[in-house]
Amino acid sequence: MVALNSRFLLGKYREAFLVDGKGENPVKAIFTLMLKFGLIDGLLTASEDGNSPRLILKAEDVEIPVRNTCFGVNSLLKKAVQKYRLSRLAVFGPACTFDGLNKTQYFGIGCNWTKTAVALKVSFLCPGVLTDTAFLSEVVDITGKRAGVSRFYFQKGELRYQLKNGEEVAVPPALHHRYVNSACRYCLNMAGKGTDLTAVYLKEVNRALFIVRSERGLSTLAQIQRNSPSSLQFRKAGKEDVDELLSFLKEKVLLNISDIIERVELGLPVPKWNDNKLRKFYRIWNSVDVNSEEEVF
Amino acid sequence: MFYRDKLSFEDEEFKLKVGFLHFSSCSGCQVAFFDMFEEAVEILDTVELVYSNMLTKRRDLPRMDVAFVEGALCIEDPHHLHLVKELQKKAKLIVAVGGCASFGGVRRLSCGNQLPQPQHQSFVPITEVDLVKPKVKYAIPGCPPNPSLLYSFLLALLEVNEDFLLPFELMTFSTRASGMDIFAEVVNKGFCVGCGTCSTACPTRAITYNYECSRPAFNPGLCVYCGSCLAACPQSFKPYPQPTYT
Repeated sequence: MVALNSRFLLGKYREAFLVDGKGENPVKAIFTLMLKFGLIDGLLTASEDGNSPRLILKAEDVEIPVRNTCFGVNSLLKKAVQKYRLSRLAVFGPACTFDGLNKTQYFGIGCNWTKTAVALKVSFLCPGVLTDTAFLSEVVDITGKRAGVSRFYFQKGELRYQLKNGEEVAVPPALHHRYVNSACRYCLNMAGKGTDLTAVYLKEVNRALFIVRSERGLSTLAQIQRNSPSSLQFRKAGKEDVDELLSFLKEKVLLNISDIIERVELGLPVPKWNDNKLRKFYRIWNSVDVNSEEEVF
Repeated sequence: MFYRDKLSFEDEEFKLKVGFLHFSSCSGCQVAFFDMFEEAVEILDTVELVYSNMLTKRRDLPRMDVAFVEGALCIEDPHHLHLVKELQKKAKLIVAVGGCASFGGVRRLSCGNQLPQPQHQSFVPITEVDLVKPKVKYAIPGCPPNPSLLYSFLLALLEVNEDFLLPFELMTFSTRASGMDIFAEVVNKGFCVGCGTCSTACPTRAITYNYECSRPAFNPGLCVYCGSCLAACPQSFKPYPQPTYT
């Protein structure tokens, strides 16, 4: 049986930090500082509303998605690597973005020489992405009123939306599960395993939880601190900060697992060349041994 | 791996004999292969190029361990028919390189009756020819495949990295590939995450990204049937050892 423990839900990590930025989102601040100090030569991410991908080359242009909508980031990969010849690229997006990127790096399919072009991979903890219309419907379902979503964050293990009218609402995972992109209902990597760093948005706009997974992630944060000591304030996250997230992830992953099981039992088709990944999980769900491998390229 | 049945890598003299055969194609795959630049130096002491219509002067086909084949077989070309028979005899293992050899590629659009050889009308990917099918072990998608993919593939072949090679083995059983696969195999089956990897992989911009619905958009008129999009899609086969449940 797969254990729904921290290792499975959150993945291996070295340190977790609570990071405070000076009046701005710390994730945005690290990318701005990295571009300013030449640690990266480009940032591949999406617009603030998450609807369109962005390739950012200047520190003053930095924007990051603050809603759980982040689509098409990899569609600009070839432009970044082959047209602009960027060799120290940072990528920010949900875990599925990195599935595509890691595959491109590992196999070399898609975009040439990506293997050596990416300097930092930062994911955000993704509860499942939604389109604009799905957001509207979800908010109507929760509040009974029409309102747009301006940002999402986690508070005490709860997923919450800040609406455009200023209201803040809690989003029940079971309801949220009905509105997310259908592929997100089979996702078991919401925490961005396989990246250097996972950022978790918190209630305070200028605060985030950074889960650092790799040496590269740690050394990058150290370089930012060295170059600009007063811009960001780091302190080690307590066990309770991580445990709160784990309770949310556990609830959401259980919903996803039940969808995977349902899909396999119904015998719904899977893509060719897929090595039976869902059926494999189905088999392992009832087995006794688990071997999770992770690698950051 | 049957190509090294009687050979041992412990033998210092051992060199993997590699040939590059050209059927009906633009030769772009072969150019991509020779485009590995400095990376190729790392493997030159273990690989010997015994045949290539571009780089060697030989006219007869020598025996070889691995034959990389580019292009589709033209049924009306006697030279192709002779070459495929020779290939069956001389090669221990065949790798179909690029869309034309693997899935038909742009040759799927050929209707013949065109200058300078109007008699060349019918083209078949090498993965569909029964004579050599048992020896076609791997198919590499792309138009052309990236040099970095070809380099990684050759390295995996030398190291017998089965994890890496497995998807390319599965692709030999799939004799048709097009941009429509992204819809039939991924989007319609509920697996599309909207990451945009397929659109970056498409060499002809037949697949672009539709920002309104956050899904790929397909223009069949531009598709060259190379299979890059589905191969690049993170949902089409296991991306890499992350995370696995075995």
